[in-house]
Amino acid sequence: MTQPPNGFDPNDPIGTWRAWRDASLDAWAKSLTAMVNTETFSQAIGAQLDALLAVSGPVQQAVQQYMERYLAQAQMPSRSEVVSLASRLTNIEFRLDDMQVQLDELTDLVRQLAAAGAPAPADVSVISDRLSAIEEQLASLANTRPAARTRKATTEDKE
Amino acid sequence: MTSADAAPIDFERMTEQLLKEIERTTKSSDMAARIATNRIKVAVGQTPKEQIWALNKMRLYHYYPQVPPEQRKAVPILLVFALINRPYIFDLRPGNSFVEFLLRHGYEVYLLDWGTPGPEDAHYNFEDFSLKFLPRAVRAMQRHSKKREFTMLGWCIGATIVTIYAAMRPDDGLRNLILLTAPIDFSDKEGSTFSRWLNTEYYNVDELVRQFGNVPSTIIEYGNKMLKPVENYIGTYLKLWDNLDNPAVVEAWLAMNTWVTDNVDFPGAAFRQWVVEFFRENRLMENKLMMEGRIVDLANIKANLLNVIADKDHIVPNCQSRSIMDRVSSKDKKLIELKGGHIGIMVGSGASKRAWPLMEAWLSERSN
Repeated sequence: MTQPPNGFDPNDPIGTWRAWRDASLDAWAKSLTAMVNTETFSQAIGAQLDALLAVSGPVQQAVQQYMERYLAQAQMPSRSEVVSLASRLTNIEFRLDDMQVQLDELTDLVRQLAAAGAPAPADVSVISDRLSAIEEQLASLANTRPAARTRKATTEDKE
Repeated sequence: MTSADAAPIDFERMTEQLLKEIERTTKSSDMAARIATNRIKVAVGQTPKEQIWALNKMRLYHYYPQVPPEQRKAVPILLVFALINRPYIFDLRPGNSFVEFLLRHGYEVYLLDWGTPGPEDAHYNFEDFSLKFLPRAVRAMQRHSKKREFTMLGWCIGATIVTIYAAMRPDDGLRNLILLTAPIDFSDKEGSTFSRWLNTEYYNVDELVRQFGNVPSTIIEYGNKMLKPVENYIGTYLKLWDNLDNPAVVEAWLAMNTWVTDNVDFPGAAFRQWVVEFFRENRLMENKLMMEGRIVDLANIKANLLNVIADKDHIVPNCQSRSIMDRVSSKDKKLIELKGGHIGIMVGSGASKRAWPLMEAWLSERSN
């Protein structure tokens, strides 16, 4: 069948409707994209944010005060205390990471010395064994760290 | 339209068309119900990998090689994505995965996942991400791969982070730097919608960060979607509706939608710095961005540079990505402009035919 002129086919009302819908949406999309790129809309975005902050500020403050009192009475740590603990844990992790690197460098050095036939190879192997043991302990320490409380679902979780 | 233009009314054909549409709708409504009730799960990030390093919320993954050792490239590649989305966009789904593509071409691929920041991470800024965390991940990768030289690919804000790293640590073994839709130069205040929104006194970034700590992902997602409201709030769902009878399209749509709606909070201090020091003051391009007590000077970048930009990028317009080419000291540098959008250039159906082969061809010559 030949294509009707102007894409309009009275025998295909669905197709015609779809073409009209897409054309309308396209026009809307162009208009709204232009609209959000104006100074006025920037002001509106700022105003929306101000409105959100005006409501959320006092609510957050009230909830925080109430929860701190409640948690203290229930002999439980407050949010700020947990956050402080998490920060300290993170600092320990950083220290561990640094120690791991130093240990790796040291182990490499020892292995290089051993490979180069440096004096007292027996002693070197003892040091190497001990370093490996420390390395294992550090690795197990890092692995036993509790999972992050606020962690969201990961890719693997979805699967 | 005049009556002379109109095709003659054919009731039989009209009825056929209507019947066809009713059949399609009946078939589609089952699929729509399954999607609405969450009964269709789409697998993302499926390429086999191992976690080789972890620090705080960050994870560094190594993908298992897929070619024999003798066919592998000598220089490993580290993929770094933005702070506000999940990095599995690099490995969206089998058959549409940049990671898979690289592995098949013999690359040792590493992926850095920044993780989801907790309230205790709200004070981290770009200095932390670029110069405190990223170097540790690089160190772990170098140790694991037993290679000192490496390639780093940053996408979106991830590209800004790796650019800062490359400028501040030019002697750490970075051989090739690939920037994908990199927001670097914010001098054109009217060049992007984000610039318009964030450059005004109306946007109270300080109070936002003070109240929330980390900026909620819902706010970031709202901002991203409002750049193209009709496409993001209506068009994408209509596209799904029109293709509900096509399982391949539905699966691709669901995978993409999973990623688009799976956002993470923007660490508060980093967000504030992003708005004030990058968007408003353009410090990186103006040589005024200070980190570790030094100026982040783009002229320090010596690595081979491939800068990939997208011609229809409405999130990071080209004007924000181009000008770095004139500022780096790299002797080997190339700019590629591809057809597509901010994400589409790497994930769309054309990615495996255009963007990936182009990038791989460039990288291949510099990875042995």
